[in-house]
This record gives sequence, C-alpha cells and structure tokens, in this order.
Amino acid sequence: MSTFVEKLRQYSKPGYYDEFDYHWTMTIDLDRCTGCEACVVACQAENNLPIVGEERFAQSREIKWIRIERYWEGEYPNIKMGFIPMLCQHCDDAPCETACPVYATYHNQDGLNTQIYNRCIGTRTCAVYCPYEVRYFNWFTYTWDEPLEQQLNPDVSVREKGVMEKCTFCIQRIRIAKDNAKDDDRRRVRDGEVVPACVQSCPTEAMLFGNSKDPEAKVSKMMKNTRGYTVLKDLNTTPSIVYLKKVHA
Amino acid sequence: MSKISRRDLLQYIGAGGIGVAGGVLYGEGVQRKVELLIPQVIPPEDYSPGVATWYNTVCNQCSAGCGISVRIREGKAKKIEGNPVHPVSRGRLCARGQAGLNVLYNPDRIRTPLQRADRGSENTAEISWDDALTTIGSRIGRLKIEGNAGRIRLLTGRTRGHLDELFAQFMNLLGSEHYQQYDFTYPSALAAANKTSFGTDVLPYYDIENADFLLSFGADYLGTWLSPVHYSRAYGNLRQGRQGQRGKTVQVEPRMSLSGAAADEWIAARPGTEGLLALGIAHVLVSSGSYTGNDRDEWSSALQAYSPSMVSAETEVSEDTIVRIAEEFGASTASLAIAGGATAAGTNAVASIVAVNALNHLAGNLGKPGGVILNSAQTFPAAAGSSPAGLQGALDLVAAMQAGDVEVLLVHDTNPVFSLPDNVGFRQAMENVPLIIALSSFHDETTVMADFILPTNTYLESWGDDVPDPGVGFPVTSLSQPVVAPLYDTLPVGDIILSLARQIGGELPIHMPWASMEEFIKDRWREEFDERMSEGQDQNFEAFWQAVLEAGVWGQPGAAAGGQPESSSSPTIAAIADPVSKFAGDETDYPFVLHPYLTATFLDGRGANLPWLQELPDPMTSVVYGSWAELNPVTADELGIEEGDVLEIESPAGSIRVPAFIFPAIRPGVVAVPIGQGHTSYGRYASDRGVNPIHIVATLMDKQSGDLAWAATRVKITNTGERLRIVKTDGVTRTLGRQILGPGNDHG
Repeated sequence: MSTFVEKLRQYSKPGYYDEFDYHWTMTIDLDRCTGCEACVVACQAENNLPIVGEERFAQSREIKWIRIERYWEGEYPNIKMGFIPMLCQHCDDAPCETACPVYATYHNQDGLNTQIYNRCIGTRTCAVYCPYEVRYFNWFTYTWDEPLEQQLNPDVSVREKGVMEKCTFCIQRIRIAKDNAKDDDRRRVRDGEVVPACVQSCPTEAMLFGNSKDPEAKVSKMMKNTRGYTVLKDLNTTPSIVYLKKVHA
Repeated sequence: MSKISRRDLLQYIGAGGIGVAGGVLYGEGVQRKVELLIPQVIPPEDYSPGVATWYNTVCNQCSAGCGISVRIREGKAKKIEGNPVHPVSRGRLCARGQAGLNVLYNPDRIRTPLQRADRGSENTAEISWDDALTTIGSRIGRLKIEGNAGRIRLLTGRTRGHLDELFAQFMNLLGSEHYQQYDFTYPSALAAANKTSFGTDVLPYYDIENADFLLSFGADYLGTWLSPVHYSRAYGNLRQGRQGQRGKTVQVEPRMSLSGAAADEWIAARPGTEGLLALGIAHVLVSSGSYTGNDRDEWSSALQAYSPSMVSAETEVSEDTIVRIAEEFGASTASLAIAGGATAAGTNAVASIVAVNALNHLAGNLGKPGGVILNSAQTFPAAAGSSPAGLQGALDLVAAMQAGDVEVLLVHDTNPVFSLPDNVGFRQAMENVPLIIALSSFHDETTVMADFILPTNTYLESWGDDVPDPGVGFPVTSLSQPVVAPLYDTLPVGDIILSLARQIGGELPIHMPWASMEEFIKDRWREEFDERMSEGQDQNFEAFWQAVLEAGVWGQPGAAAGGQPESSSSPTIAAIADPVSKFAGDETDYPFVLHPYLTATFLDGRGANLPWLQELPDPMTSVVYGSWAELNPVTADELGIEEGDVLEIESPAGSIRVPAFIFPAIRPGVVAVPIGQGHTSYGRYASDRGVNPIHIVATLMDKQSGDLAWAATRVKITNTGERLRIVKTDGVTRTLGRQILGPGNDHG
C-alpha cells in the first residue's frame, strides 16, 4: 500500500506530467461543425458501444461517448441553432478522478483521463462529479442481435453490467501509433499519426487531435486561435479539449 | 467453375490487398454450408490474426458515390471510413455511410432464395437457387418466345456504371423496352432545369468550397442534397479554410434543416414562393446595374414584374432583406445559388430552379471557381446511363400494371410501395401482375409482395463500378470489390441477371457470356484500357487493374471539364414564367402546409432498418426511434398543443397520426414530418415504428419534369387528445448563460 501512496504523491506533484512526451489534446472548430453526427456513429463503430433500444433511451440510459448538444438562441424568425460536440474533456484537474473510491479512473502520463473497467465497482460517483455529463453507466450487459456482433472491434473490450465507461480518445489507436513509432526507432509518434475515430470521420474537418507538448503540432497552433475557449471554464477543470467558437457574421 | 471448399474461399479472400475472391464467389462452393471444426489450420496466405487490412470500395447508402475504405480483420468487416484518395469523400464519411456495416451484418437479411404463396404475408418457403432460376428463367423465356417480352418489366433504384449497362442489355436482348428506375431522392427537376439553363442535364459541380456567398434555396447540402459528405467538407473550407476570408451562407426554407442551422441567415419564405424570391433578387441584380451582360435589356423586361415590393408581398420576406441579399450576392466575387429540397418539390419545381440558376448567370459565376462548373457526360463505364423517371415513370408503370400489360415484374433496390404516395396505388396495381420477383437483401414493403425473392449480396459483398453523380469537375470512375465473403446463400445482383440469361438461353448467353459480374466488369475495363492505350505504351492491363482496385478509384484530374456553360437567356426567361407552386387542398379546409423532409439518417426510408441510425438522435430535435410532427411554438400555443399530443394530420389524400413536437425554427402555418419511419415491413428495427408522410402526399407533379411535387400538399390538424411520449436525448435546449457555445456567443 505504501508504494501506492508514494506513487500517488509523486503523480500529484506539480510538473510531474511535464516529464512525459505527450499531452493529447483536441480542438473542435464550431464554425465548421454542422451537427451532422458522423462522429457519433464513428465512435459507436470504433468503441463497441451497445445498441440499447428505445426503452433504454426513454430511461436516459443511452451510451454515446460523443454526442451533439444543441442550443437554441432567440425566437422565430430570428432564431439560431448552436451545435457543440460533447465528449470526455480529459480534464487535467478532473473532478471524476478524485471521486473514485477504487481508483478505477485516473490520469495517465499522456494526459488522458482513463477508465479501468475491471477495477470499477459501479458506485457511479464519477458520473455525478462530472460537470460535462459524459460518463455512461452499463445498467445491463448488452448483447448484439446475431450477426451484428461480427462487427465488434477486436481492439476494444466489450463492457459488462455494473461498469462505468466513457471516451478514451481512442486509446487503442494511440497504442498502435506508439508501437509503430517504437518499431521505427522513433521516440515520438508523428503529428497526425493518431486520429481518433470521431476526428477521422468528421466531414467538415472541424476536429483536430494531437500532442500539445509538440509546439509544431497542428493542434498546438489551433489552440492559440483567438476563438478558442474551454467549456465551463469557471470550474477550473482544465479540459484537454479546446473549442473554437462559431463566428456570428 | 470447379467446386471449391470454404477453406479455399477464405484463402482467396484473405489473399493480399485485393479482394480477388469475387471471381470465385459465384459457384456451388459458396452455397454449400460447410462447418469446420477447426477453422484455418493452414491459414490463408497473407492472413495474420490481429492485423487489419483495408479494402477500398464504393458506398451505396445514397447516390453520391463516396469512395470508402473498409477495415477487415480475420475476414470480418470492422469499420468503414472514407477513402482518402477518392475525390468525392476525401477520407470522410457521413453517419449513414458508416452504418453500412449494419446492412452487411443485419440480422434481418434474407439468407436464401424464397418462394411466397400468399402475397403480403411473411410466410415464405425456402427454395434452391436452381429451382428458383429455372422456374423464373422458363417463365421469362416463354414470354420471349411468344413475342410477349414487352410484358416483362425491370424496376430498379438509382443504378449507375456497368450494372446499369447489364440491366439495359438484358432487357434489350429479351426484347423489352421496359427497364426503368425509381428513386425518391433523385433530383429529376434539377436535371430538367439545368438542361434548360445550361443545355445539359449532367449535374454540374457546385463549387461551394471556393464560394464567398452561398445562397441556398431549400437545398440541405449538409444533410441530404446530392453529395453531403463532399459538400460538408466544402462548407468547412468555405468557413475556415481560407486565411482571413470567411464565406457567408444564407438558407431559404420553411423549416430549419442542418444547412439552415449552419447558415448565417435563415429565411422562412412563404412555402412555394422560393422561386419568386429568386426572381425578386434577380430583379434587383439587373435593375441596380450589377449585371452588365449583352442581354441586359431582355432580362430587364423579363424581370420587370418582380419588383421587391411585389415579391415581398408574396413571399413575406421584407423588401430590405431582398435588396440586401441581392446587393451582397452581386458584390461578392464568388457567389453561388443552389436549389433543392422543398424548392425543387413544388408544382413549379423546374421554374423555381431555373430562376435560381438565373442568379448564377446574372452574378457571372458560371464556370468560375466558387460558382457552377459543368461536368462532362462521361463515356465510361456507361455511355448513356439511365436516370430515374420520377412520378411520371411510376404512374406509367402503375397504369400498365392495372391494364394487365405486365406479366413479369423484376424489382431491385427500390421500394416504391413505401416511397410513393398511397394515391398512386402501386401496391394495389402489383396485385395485377402474375409474377413478381424481388432481387433484394431485405423484406421491405415491395419485397413482401414478391412471389420469388432472390437474395442479393450487399454492396460490401459485390463487384461494381460507379461514376459519382454529380461529378467533381473531372472524369472519375470508382471500382467496388467485395470486402468480405458472402455471409449467406446470396448472389450479387449482376450474377443473378447473368444466370437468368443463361437459363433463358437463345442469344442471351451469346451476347452475355460472362460467368460473373466481376468478369463482365473486368472485360469492359480491359476493352476501355486497350482503346485508350496507344501502341507504344506498356500495355499491362493486369497491373493497371490491380492498381485501380487498390486505390478504389480511377480519375483524370486536370482533364477537361464540361466547358463553359452556355447560358442563353431566352429559354431561361421562358421557363421562369411560373414562379409560384400550387398546392393540393383548399386553404380554408386545409390551413397548414405539409413539409415532409428527408433526414440525413434514413433518407427515403432505406436507412430505417439500421440500428445505429435508429439510435442516432435526430440532429435538429434529438429524437430517436420514432416520428414526430414539428409545429411552431406560437401555432402550437394557439391550438393548445403540447409536445407528445397525438395529432391527426389529414390531407386530401389521407391521414396519419403522429405526436407533436414543438420546434422553434419552423414557419407558422407549416407542419413538418420527417421521412423514413412508418415501415410496415422492414425488419425488427424499422417495422411498426412511426409514420410515413409520403403516403399522404397528394400526387401533384412538376409539369416540366414529371417529378413528384412532394412539398405541395396542404393538411389540417386535429388534436386527438391521446398522448405519446417522444423519446429524445435533449433536456434543456437553452444555454442559460453558461457560455457553453463560447464567450459572447451565449445569449441565453
């Protein structure tokens, strides 16, 4: 136990994460986003999200690691719709991480907020603490109507009843890219080598993903855009997702 | 083809980057059910567990023709992404395209040939391919010998490339002229209008990417219009792809679509008057002196009547707005006007689109970057491809069926019983046809009327080629290949036609000697290759073929496009004389205008059997698994209607019952119902869910193109007093000062 506590102290030391090579970051340009939801299906396909059925939707038990939120402004005829893709913000100061009694959710060295499924005991505290409402609980063990299960991505585990799940920034794709880099004797993956499913699919190229510790990465440059902001900034969660606000002409 | 075992088959499938399996897919080896105790003791060549292979092919979920890459692991398809080298999709893909895996692995697929004794019932009996093909072949063969081949009809969905040629050739050799297509989403009116405006009905390339000012009349280019993935990418770049320059978009439509939500300005003109609005803008362009062409006087007199004040009174768009938009449109370097959706679905559809095309002419953006760029008619693969014939074609077919002129009806990849109004009576007319054969993968409403069901491979298990329509400004042909071995005892549709040709005999197998669709396509590509290659060049067709298969696409960037559009003013001016749509139903009896709209998920209903799409919240309302009727909040308030109140929506042609949804971005006096749900038979995910608004559309048509005027029906609404919960994911739809959309973009 003592080593565990020591490690935890070490992890919480300011600057600890600076020693590592990566800080995965995403930018989402709302001036490009059209709310088409291609990313939602891409995520469902990549990460083996269950088909929950109409009844579960009615009970708000759907599981979508990324969703499009929609907000109306004004009234007819001067009405506008604002879309914003909402997914785990991979906060550097994540409220969910402090909440978990079994350390099933923690911050890894790449700046990811990760979830260890077989450590999770399903208290659902993290979901309560998350201000972005992006954690999803498996109330049931979902099954797929045969032969839909043949589509399941073998790189991603299928979750069971009693486990919390959420966006991983497609950690399986990050792992593959790192492996490839290692095989090529490169210290770091190249910019653009890791593309999460949602970013890959986006028809308007609204999303960018990369390592913000690399000042030359596209995402690092995009983060500095004057339209950049983080959602619910006042909560000081320090999200890893920077949104670029829509331009109102 | 000799017998092959399943193990051999898997070896072929796993063999390298190219799906060479297609040639061996046809044959008994596939159809025999073989269970292996230990699969792949000797693994197929180039097959490594844990290593994914990507195969390039073509998406078939709508008519855009996006190139896709499918990720295969251990012989199973895992994910579909856009093909990065394909000029239509450029590596991106929409929700519907990605849900193609739900087509392939759908639990409700038809797995064997079936025979049905009782039309309309779900009771079917399994039958062998041999029996089915022999029975059907002899029946068709007899008609041919008797000289009654004209009584054979082939109805398909939108079909392009060599499959189209195969269908046409098959029907020609039989001696029947009755091969026709029906696709609810095919823009017949747009093609007819462009013929008038530009002298060609080949759909042009609308260069949204480079436009400064995009004025869309009803065209939901981000969701359902022509080529949504391509235009979405173009939209992204219009907004933020150019340094220091952000294009502006304006959307004219009665109910806010995805494109309306993205637009800087959304204008809900009175339904049916969108063409008139375009003429009002044209009037200002000419009268303000912004247009300086030689034929200025002709335009001036033709547009004389459409002054902003007159147009404003009719369209209920303010004069200031009309003048301002005209000025911006005229002043922008690259302004572009497009028309689609409800604007292209009135009784004056062609006139409205021609009026919109006139704006492009008057702003001088034809053939320029950011304007309308013509595509040339491609000679390969299909010289003169067929096009869907709209409502008129369907009515002709129904009349022939009713008159007893149709003895055999072959249906493939189209569902007219669902996507035509009830008044057309397609289903009833089918009762008069002695033999109906469906070549289909699913039990949809048309397939359940068939006596024989010949199950087809899905597009992910088939060979094919395709010319994207609209094209991208230069010649492009895509090649599709099977990415997995067929799951069931099914055949590619081309192979079924070729087998039937062999069964019928006579000159058919002489002129159609190919064993399979793959062989046919490859043969044709070889001919084309030999023709194009000059003597001195290295004539290695196999290398070329492999390269195209790997890329999934063959194109000639930089080759001549369709040339400068010749926009002569006189036919255009003659065509715009009828700028306002007529409606079925009297305004006093039917006070509301019905606005059925295509959704990006289900399109004309074909996507409703895919669980990922049923579970995808509607982009504008967040509703899942059902239908709803959108009403303006003020209208709903006046009528005392709340969300979930079941409304009876009655048109002169019929009625539907659907729960109300209060939608803030719809014009008062309009009720919008999404198309796609309301299937009575389409598998477990789609059946008995929601309503189909197409069924109550009156059978008015656009006079010039014969296209169904699906936005020209009036309805009345009665609150039945019943309630039905609308299942949706949204809670609060206002930001309430939380700055969620960004600082300064939040007005609560």
